[in-house]
Parts: sequence; C-alpha cells; structure tokens
Amino acid sequence: MLETVVQAVINGLLIGGIYALVSIGVTLIFGVVKIVNFAQGEFVMIGMYISFYLATQFGIDPILSLFVSMPVLFVIGVLVQHFLIRRVLGPNDMPQIFLTFALSLLLLNLSLLLFSANYRTVHTSYSDEAFHLGGLYIPEAKLIAFVVAMALSGALWVFLHTTDLGKAMRAASQNRDVATLMGINPNRVFAVAFGAALALAGAAGSLLMPFYSAYPFVGQVFVLMAFVAVVLGTLGNVIGALVASLMMGVAESLGIQFVGADSGLIVVFAMLLLTLAFKPNGLGGGRVR
Amino acid sequence: MRATKLNLILSDVQSDTTVTRTETDRLITGNKLSAIHGCFASALTLIASEVAERAKVPLITGSSSDQLNKGRTYTFTPFARASQFAKAQLQMSKLVSDQPKVAVIFENTAFGTSTSNGLKELAPGEGVEIVMFEPYSAGFTDASPLINKVKASGANALFSVSYLNDLILIVRTVKQVGLNIAINGGSGGFVIPDFYKNVGKLAEGLQGVAHWNHDMDENAQKVNAEYKKRTGDFLFEYAGGLVAQTYMIADALERAASPDPQKVREALSALDVSSGFAAMAPGGKVKFGPDGKNVYGRPVGVQWQNGDLASVFPKDDARAPLIKS
Repeated sequence: MLETVVQAVINGLLIGGIYALVSIGVTLIFGVVKIVNFAQGEFVMIGMYISFYLATQFGIDPILSLFVSMPVLFVIGVLVQHFLIRRVLGPNDMPQIFLTFALSLLLLNLSLLLFSANYRTVHTSYSDEAFHLGGLYIPEAKLIAFVVAMALSGALWVFLHTTDLGKAMRAASQNRDVATLMGINPNRVFAVAFGAALALAGAAGSLLMPFYSAYPFVGQVFVLMAFVAVVLGTLGNVIGALVASLMMGVAESLGIQFVGADSGLIVVFAMLLLTLAFKPNGLGGGRVR
Repeated sequence: MRATKLNLILSDVQSDTTVTRTETDRLITGNKLSAIHGCFASALTLIASEVAERAKVPLITGSSSDQLNKGRTYTFTPFARASQFAKAQLQMSKLVSDQPKVAVIFENTAFGTSTSNGLKELAPGEGVEIVMFEPYSAGFTDASPLINKVKASGANALFSVSYLNDLILIVRTVKQVGLNIAINGGSGGFVIPDFYKNVGKLAEGLQGVAHWNHDMDENAQKVNAEYKKRTGDFLFEYAGGLVAQTYMIADALERAASPDPQKVREALSALDVSSGFAAMAPGGKVKFGPDGKNVYGRPVGVQWQNGDLASVFPKDDARAPLIKS
C-alpha cells in the first residue's frame, strides 16, 4: 500500500514537471505582458516537431535538441510579440483573446497540413527504460525531463531576480506606467518575456519527445493542465505555477490510483474549485516572483 | 467481365455526415450505379446505406457496426461484425494462457464503453476471467498510475480499448514498468503500415483483431505482393477488403448480366463463393443471409511480428504462431 502511494507520488511529480514548464510560460506572459496566451500549447507542439525531425533526420537526441528548439521558439516569441501582440495591447482585452486564440487555430491547422495527423514517436536508448528500486520504478526519460524542467525553472527565477532585464520584467509587471517612467522600454521587456515563455514551451516539447507522441493536437492536452496550474498558483506568479503544477501532477496520479482512472482530472478540478472558492487569487501571491 | 468494363467512380465523403449524405445522393442520381462500396467509418456507412436503401442501389461495406444488418435489404456486409470482434479477442487470450486473467481498460467514450461492455458480457461464456475493468480519460498525459493498477490486478493479458495515442502511451508504460503482459488492442487504427513506421519496435507483439489481413490466404498474398511491389507497403485491412468486395460485385454483375442495381442486388443476395478473389475473406467463403451478413464471416486475429502484421488466429487463417509476450 505504502509502495503504491509512493509510486503514485513519483509518477505525479514527474509529469508535474512538464506541466510546470508549460504553465510557467503562460504565467510569465500573463504577469509581464498581461495577456492570456491561448496558443501556448501549440508552441509545445512545435517544440516536439523540431525535436522529432532533428532526431529522425540527423539522429540528434531529443533532449539535446533543446538547444535548438529553445532558441528557435525564443525568436518566434519575439516575432509574435513584435508583429502581432504589440498591435492589440491596450485597455480592451477582447482583441488579445481573439488574437492568441486565432493563432492557436492557425498553428493547429498549419501543422495538420505540414505534418499530417499521424502520431510521431522517437526512440532513444532510454525511452522505455526505468530505474528499478525495490518495487518502485522511475522511468529514465521522465526523470531527465523532470530534472531539466526544474533546472530551467530555477534558471528563470535567478534571471528574474538577479539580472537588470529580469528586474525590469518584474517591474513592468508590477506597474507598467511607472516602469516606463523609470526608463524601462516596455516593448523590449515584453518581447523578451514572450520569447522566454515560448522557449520554455519549446523545452517542454523537446523533453516530452522521448516518451510522448507528437501530433498536431498534442498541445491541447497539456495546455488545459497548464491553465489550471496558472490559476491555482495565482496568475502571474512563477513559483506559484511551479508548485501548483507539481501538486496537480500528484493529485491527478493519486486520483487515478485511488478514485478511478477516469477520475484523475476530477481531483484536479475539485482542487481548482476549492481554491477559487476560498482563495480566489490562487495559492501564491500576485506579481511575478 | 465479358467485354464490359467495370467502372469505379471515386468520391470523398470527407468524414462528414452531411457530405456523406449529399455525395451518396449525387453519385446515385448523376450516374447509373450498379452498386456502391464503402464507407470506412460505421457512422458514415450507416448514413450512406440509408440513402442507397431508398434509391434501391446495393451497398457493400467492410464497416463493422451490427446496425448495418438491421432493417436493410440493399446492404451487404461480407466481413466480421463488431459483436464478433469481442469474441475473437477473448478467444485469443486463451492462446496466451490456459487460465486467462484479463484486465480491460477502456477510454470513457461511447466507443470505449460499448466495446468493453461487449467483452464483459461474453467473457464468462468463453471461460475468460476479467480481473480488472476500468475506464480512463481519453487523451491522458500519463499512463503510469493506470498501469500500476493493472500490475496490482495480477492480470496476464491486457485488453486496451483505446485510440492510437493512448495505446502507444500504454504500450510504452507497460515496457517501463517491466510488466510481462500480452496486450490486445482490439480492432483499431493500428493495423496500418504507418502505425509501425511511427511507433517502431514498440508495436512488436501487439495483438489485435481485423476483418481482413494480407497474409491470411493465397489470394490475399497474391494481391498483397502486387500492391507491395508498387507501393512498398503491405495492403491494409480495409483496402484488402475492398479488393474482395470489388470481385463480389463483379461476380454478381456477371450473373445478373445487367448493370441494373435491382438485378445486381438479387445476384449479390444469391452470391455463394468459396474460391477466387471474391472469397478473399477470413474463412474463405462468402454467402449473404437475409440480413445481408456473410453467414461465414469471422474476424482474423493479428499480431505485429518483425514489422509485419501476421495472422495468428483462428487456426485456419493463422500464418504464424502467436508470440506470447
């Protein structure tokens, strides 16, 4: 029994690490640029296809292809911010919502056209291997993904707290007008934030590739969890999103184990509802932390 | 056929119910059709067969829904019915073990629920014990907790009623856990060559049931060899069935000696073949009962072996022994 619980917690934490990369991206964009990016899942999908093609065409390990997917997605993020998002920033939320939603639909349909609806998988030497400890097992690919995800989250936190640009991003998220008065160029800060968020999505895609299949709709699976984590962890709060993602992974896993395999999400959504009812601002504080 | 050429008119119904209805109508009114093939998905075939029924044009299909054999006189189904697939799957589990203990996991959708309930109902009659019966959320991100439960159930066979992505995830997780269990994916999209190309070695040993397979008899092998020469891939279930269906229609046209759809229907309902390409179905015989069902129809059990889909069940159709794990 104890073993089952421990195994369920391990499973939950490992998948929670992936949720974290997606949700941190969403929360970073919300915190800094103040828009909800509905297309975040599609950028995870793009990251997966980048890793898939690098692996199948050039034999590059999907984890290593992170060094390609992250910069590529960063540039895409800067371009999207500069050419699209910048035009709709303003007091009215609606154009922003429609814009990112339209972007999501466009990317979905483009990928259907380019990559077809087939499931693409990559096999690495560690894809289907696991470390066995007593009766427990830890899948290697997921463990690597988890460790890298935590390292990237940590790096982002250090960036936000120690670099001038990071501090400028936090300042802009707290009060855009005052930050502008202090000489911070909001467009530059927004572009970096958007780029960084998409780079995280790209990383999530590359890290998923050794153990999950790529297909055009794959982003939708993860973005739902990411949005719940973002709300649970307080919109705009990076640490909050991280903690909430891990909690959700564990709650989902325990739910499947002890309630039923079709009830894993019930536990997650019950958590969301209770949090919203008793702590409407989420479990973390506001702002980008 | 004696100096007359069989004309095939192709039409794409775009997996859309409305398009299916209008296209079937358009084809019937715009051409002097003798018979109709298709569709692939049961939901679409049900619509097309309604239209064909009203227009009194025979329709012949590989779709497996048992509904197609109810209240229709112009619909012919030469291949196994959905209800027969479940039975075959249960019987295959007896090849894995003398005392099969089966875990059934299924996606919580109409497809998953109805298929798994069929398995549950038939299991006692087949002497198969179901030790776990659990729905899961389709499109999940992590199969580990579910496979943990399968492990705890002590099952020696796993029936997964799933769409492709979930099935791939389940197969991978079973491997990671190090669980030695025979997996049967039922009848699904994994019997196509693309599946192996995408999934690779993970597919090895995966079992399923199909209504046609390229190696099940000599004629099928002949057609498959020709197809493979041109495309490099083996001929998959549905396409192979269509070749057989075309010969069934040709046979009926010969005997009807007329392209008139009514006469072709009469000839189809009197079809009785046990040799040639028209009999290229598991069991090797085709004869339609009053409900349009092939009275000899049965599914063929298949397994991925060395990148090829081998027929392994029943004995008469088997071309390779079932690999147990």
